[in-house]
Amino acid sequence: MSRSGSLYIERPSIIHRLDGSTKLLLLIGWTAFIFMFMDIRIFSIMIVLGFSLLKVSKIPWKSIKPLTYFVVAFSLINSLILLLVTPQYGSELSGSYTKLISYFGGAITLETVWYAVTLSFKYVSILPITLLFVFTTHPSRFASSLNRIGVSYKVAYAVSIAFRYIPDVKEEMMNIMHAQEARGVAFRKGDASLVKRLRNFVTILVPLLISSLNRIEVVSNALQLRGFGYEKKRTWYNRRPLTINDGISILLMTGLIGLGIYLKSQLTYFWLFY
Amino acid sequence: MSHIVFKNFSFQYEAQTNPTLKNINLEIKQGEKILIAGPSGSGKSTLGHCINGLIPFSYHGKIDGELLINGKNYHETSIHDISGEIGTVLQDQDGQFVGLSVGEDVAFFYENHNVNQKDMFTGVKASLESVDMMAFIDETPHNLSGGQKQRVSLAGILTTNTGILLFDEPLANLDPVSAKHALELIDGIKKDKGSTIIIIEHRIEDVLLSGVDRVIVMEEGIIVADMHPDELLPTDILVNAGLREPLYVEALKAIGVTISPHDAISKIENIKVYKENVIQWFKNAKTQEVVERKTILKCERLDFRYYLDAPWVIKDVSFDIQKGELLAILGNNGAGKSTLLKLISGIIKQNKGDIILAGESLNEQTIKQRSRRIGYVMQNPNHMITKVKIFDEVAFGLRNAEVPEIEVEERVFEALKVCGLYKMRNWPVSALSYGQKKRVTIASILVMKPEIIILDEPTAGQDYRNYKEFMGFVNELRKSGVSVVIITHDMQLALEYADRAVVLSKGSVLRRAGVSEIMADKALMQQANLRATSLSDLAMLVGEEMESAFLSRYNYYMGGLNHE
Repeated sequence: MSRSGSLYIERPSIIHRLDGSTKLLLLIGWTAFIFMFMDIRIFSIMIVLGFSLLKVSKIPWKSIKPLTYFVVAFSLINSLILLLVTPQYGSELSGSYTKLISYFGGAITLETVWYAVTLSFKYVSILPITLLFVFTTHPSRFASSLNRIGVSYKVAYAVSIAFRYIPDVKEEMMNIMHAQEARGVAFRKGDASLVKRLRNFVTILVPLLISSLNRIEVVSNALQLRGFGYEKKRTWYNRRPLTINDGISILLMTGLIGLGIYLKSQLTYFWLFY
Repeated sequence: MSHIVFKNFSFQYEAQTNPTLKNINLEIKQGEKILIAGPSGSGKSTLGHCINGLIPFSYHGKIDGELLINGKNYHETSIHDISGEIGTVLQDQDGQFVGLSVGEDVAFFYENHNVNQKDMFTGVKASLESVDMMAFIDETPHNLSGGQKQRVSLAGILTTNTGILLFDEPLANLDPVSAKHALELIDGIKKDKGSTIIIIEHRIEDVLLSGVDRVIVMEEGIIVADMHPDELLPTDILVNAGLREPLYVEALKAIGVTISPHDAISKIENIKVYKENVIQWFKNAKTQEVVERKTILKCERLDFRYYLDAPWVIKDVSFDIQKGELLAILGNNGAGKSTLLKLISGIIKQNKGDIILAGESLNEQTIKQRSRRIGYVMQNPNHMITKVKIFDEVAFGLRNAEVPEIEVEERVFEALKVCGLYKMRNWPVSALSYGQKKRVTIASILVMKPEIIILDEPTAGQDYRNYKEFMGFVNELRKSGVSVVIITHDMQLALEYADRAVVLSKGSVLRRAGVSEIMADKALMQQANLRATSLSDLAMLVGEEMESAFLSRYNYYMGGLNHE
């Protein structure tokens, strides 16, 4: 993570040059499209498409690797829990019942296993576009993009303020941790048991909270003194005019949604491979 | 035409039972430069809040009397209207930097007032040029120093084109050199634009040396003085209000000079009329004898950097700490002072070199093991305090070390007594003042019976009364045999209290010597980016080669006076 607290990575790519609001709409559209289906074929295509776009954006694999692994692992665990909690949900959905493993009181069906696999694909297929948005949208442009697609500027600016102060709070947290460590509180591996260390992390919340509250007071004073929130509208220092590429992207996205609606009328919701 | 007029003005915060400002009558004219001074809790910040509209629009309360700003009745406007008349630079340089980049922050007022981008860019550029920060337009705040952030805030205020600029403790978080630059910048803007300048500060010396038209002294919500510095400085008003006079004025008074308002003492070059008095005093003054002490901690050839390819933050640093001494580590921001402290306390580990405590190497000891022998008191007590009750806070370290509860109580009581907090042992920490909290943090370190206590900028942001009280207490501690290390850029603090000092610059030790010798070494002071105090100017009356002797004799003399 860069010191500015955002994940933005500067690269000369066509995706970087798209307006933040365009990318936000793409993200929303893409997600809506994915949620129309429960079909692994569509998800596979979208995963390939998504990662190709990531390739175009020139974001190094190294930076997105941890997040990608995290999401994949999360989806797998999620699927596993789903299997254990509702072992027959897939059959209820598809209406066919193929017993795979039986254990006392019930059985896991093949349909449910397939459902779990499909669900994992579903989550992963949203990942590339999210990464794309997060890594290629400059935090400064983020607030103005939100505002451009209709979010009130006060809400939008709150996001920007959060970006601004995350590193400060992080630094403060380190300071507090060091102060506590110097008094014999264990935070590091090997100094105490995991439970104890976790409890110790709770102790730093009190000072962190107090200092954050103080900060909020200063920030809100600073905002008021400089005329924030008085006018109904505001202009943005960092806003750039939309380009032809933004238009094309939105058009393509509209096409995708249209295609989605058409496909939805043609396909059954939960596609089985046999 | 008058800019700001207070007439029989009083203000009482909603949650309080007594008014914070009582019957204020004050007039500030166009183009004036005013210093509003007062100890903590005197109401000077509240007065500032009244001027910039945070009162009553953000902090609510009861107002009596009248306040006119540029002829308009203040109550009937809004904070928005007032921000068009008065620009405010706040004390907290981080808190008020709301943009993600310099340009964005400066543009903030424009954005909120729907200025189009073209005008915005021109205005931002012009403002940044007038504070000499144009080269930083795309920087993020994290890459700027405190002084630079303040410049950006000032640029942001300049875009508003207000005639009045209000600075709320602008020097509080700045090192002496940056403070001087900030004041020069303010003067430059006043000259260019003819702005009215109001500075709220308790660091009086710095502001007075930059020249002001009037000083307003506040005490307990009342204006106790409103006069030209030449009239103010001969009086005892500042001292009685618990404020520190400029050092040279304090010194002149201490050596028995009677200052007359006609001597225009606010300009430091005018001290030459007292040359004979100073020389006479110097001839008769004595020097302190040097005390021999044993070494307790040795740092040998320490090297440190954060990453393999990063530049060295600490390079070949060697020094020692002696038993029962007060050692100052001097250096400007970025000199590596805090890093050095982290190395000693074990928060980070040196790449090369040894740290030896009483003959035993600390190299392999963790921060936790070291914490019983080396206590580290952070600058901000709020970063250290995690418990609700004072007793629990002080007992925290012992309980972490699993000391039996009977012993815990005994040791905590003892530490609380030493720190003068015994009677308050069952109070909640939140009921304490900043200075008292600072004491709690010291008590919580003392209770561990460390051999060395490290204090990081112990007096930053405190007014003189608290400063004196706190340092007096530290001095007593030292006499009990504990070694105290103080990290500071305040030369006066070092001169008054430290036995010796280590000067750090860009991660290396430039010199280890007595503070008076260091202050007399002009080349060294410049190289380390430290700033001499006005006592040096006084010493010059005796002669340049006598500076070190003068400072040490004066210090000894003052120590004697304070103990009487």
